[in-house]
Amino acid sequence: MPGIIHTEKLAKRFPGHKKGEVVDAVRDLDLDVDKGEIFGLLGPNGAGKTTAMRMLCTLLVPTGGKATVAGYDLTTQAPEIRRHIGYVGQKGGMEQVATGRENLLLHAQLYRMSKAEATRRIDALIERLKLSAFADRKTETYSGGQRRIFDLASGVINAPELLFLDEPTTGLDPQSRARVWDEVKALHEQGTSIFLTTHYLEEADALCDRVAIVDLGRMVALGTPAELKKQIAGDILTVSYDTAERAEAAARLLEGNPVMLERHPIENGQQLYVDKGDEALPVILRILGQGGAAPKSVHLSRPSLDDVFLKLTGRSMRDTGEGAH
Amino acid sequence: MRDIYLITMNEIRVTIRNPFWAFSGLFQPIIYLLLFGPLLNGIAGVRGFPGGGSAIQFFAPGLLIMNALFGSGFEGFTLRDKLDSGFLERLRVTPISRLSLALGFILQTSINLVVQSILLLIVALFFGLRFDLLGALVLLVLIVLIGITMASVSYRLGLKIREGGILAGIVNTFVLPAMILSGIMLPINFGPPIIQMAARIDPFYYAVNASRALIAGHVGDPSVLSALAVFLVLSAACLAVFIRGMREAVA
Repeated sequence: MPGIIHTEKLAKRFPGHKKGEVVDAVRDLDLDVDKGEIFGLLGPNGAGKTTAMRMLCTLLVPTGGKATVAGYDLTTQAPEIRRHIGYVGQKGGMEQVATGRENLLLHAQLYRMSKAEATRRIDALIERLKLSAFADRKTETYSGGQRRIFDLASGVINAPELLFLDEPTTGLDPQSRARVWDEVKALHEQGTSIFLTTHYLEEADALCDRVAIVDLGRMVALGTPAELKKQIAGDILTVSYDTAERAEAAARLLEGNPVMLERHPIENGQQLYVDKGDEALPVILRILGQGGAAPKSVHLSRPSLDDVFLKLTGRSMRDTGEGAH
Repeated sequence: MRDIYLITMNEIRVTIRNPFWAFSGLFQPIIYLLLFGPLLNGIAGVRGFPGGGSAIQFFAPGLLIMNALFGSGFEGFTLRDKLDSGFLERLRVTPISRLSLALGFILQTSINLVVQSILLLIVALFFGLRFDLLGALVLLVLIVLIGITMASVSYRLGLKIREGGILAGIVNTFVLPAMILSGIMLPINFGPPIIQMAARIDPFYYAVNASRALIAGHVGDPSVLSALAVFLVLSAACLAVFIRGMREAVA
């Protein structure tokens, strides 16, 4: 069965700031997204997630490779693709001085719905998403969470078979985030395929059937969240110090010790991958204590997607700075 | 066609809900009528001064052109807002064609300009302006062509330039000399030959001359035909450039 999204060596190259310089925002991306799944692109800011999504939504023209979206060719059938997809960008896109309902009506009519048909569909959406309390207020008065749910309503106004969500919960408070997650799950249960980008690991973990981890324009890993986390054997023990020198001293003390499977330096500390965390903890603490490098704090955790990212790229997602989107 | 209508109506609704902006657009020309017009009274009688010795007959036609020039010249900022808010992006993923989107914006600008110009003509009546009705109607056509020209250029720049300050700088760099050389404020024929030569390459010079002829009722004046021809060509060219810009993937 053909997937809802298929890409082959999809690429986007932008001209750089200096003359002759180029920026490869997305390089040789090969993706296959199945019908009905929630697929996440996970990566830090500047990884190329948004660029990849904007190409698939027909907002950016690729500079290389090919793709089909919802069964249509990306380069030659953009208008057909637009009819079959929904898209919620980072900025939403509501007209500020119009009400939520008016915005939805405009969008619905642009999808070639008659006014009566559009009104029925909007009433149903407002009812289902419980938006009636503020649907007739100007969107400039909405809270971040209210606006987001309305953006989502606009994204599904044409009952798309594939919905794109670009960082759907960035900047939202925890309740609003949970609300958005619930709605995304509900859409998924109704059979909508969902493609989202996020830099929140919990989000990818909580929502996605499969996750592609991207960094510097390249896909570095692909799998279910569980599969990705399984790449990291055992548990993770993080030891932290006041200074980088003491953290290095700890690394020297543990070097070659079989209790430690793998080690990744972090700022003023070390991440140690161990087989059984509860048994390894006292052993490691003893070695460090005897060597004069007792840590300031210790943290034992099950692997997260952040750890997968760290292992694959050598950097923590939190360490990577802001970049182009 | 329905798409163009939907976009235009949405933009008109936005304009109506922002009465401050609708009024502030008219505020400047009225200040000119109130404060600059009387300054001309003393010199309007000088021999060779256009307008038949009346300051208002000289200045009001120019003011209408100025309103079109400035009002539409800064439309790029509204497009900038639409890009920043994601509004344009939201529309671009719907099946609407780029052409309809561009024409919807342009149509709204034109309607806005016609309404403003009519209001301005009415205000100018109270300052003593006398105008020919047929001439005024033809003038509205010319004003719409100017509006399409300027709005297209401004929109195209707005698509390209992210920084609002730089956008304002570029627009001002072109609009200000275009306005001065058009003879809106003072007649060009009083200037040195070099300025008179420069005015000949300013399309707005022809527009202002035509505007004065039309207000005076000389619909058949050669200046009217040349101004209409100049701006018919310019507006078509600029509109094409803007539509092409909308078709390319932008911001």
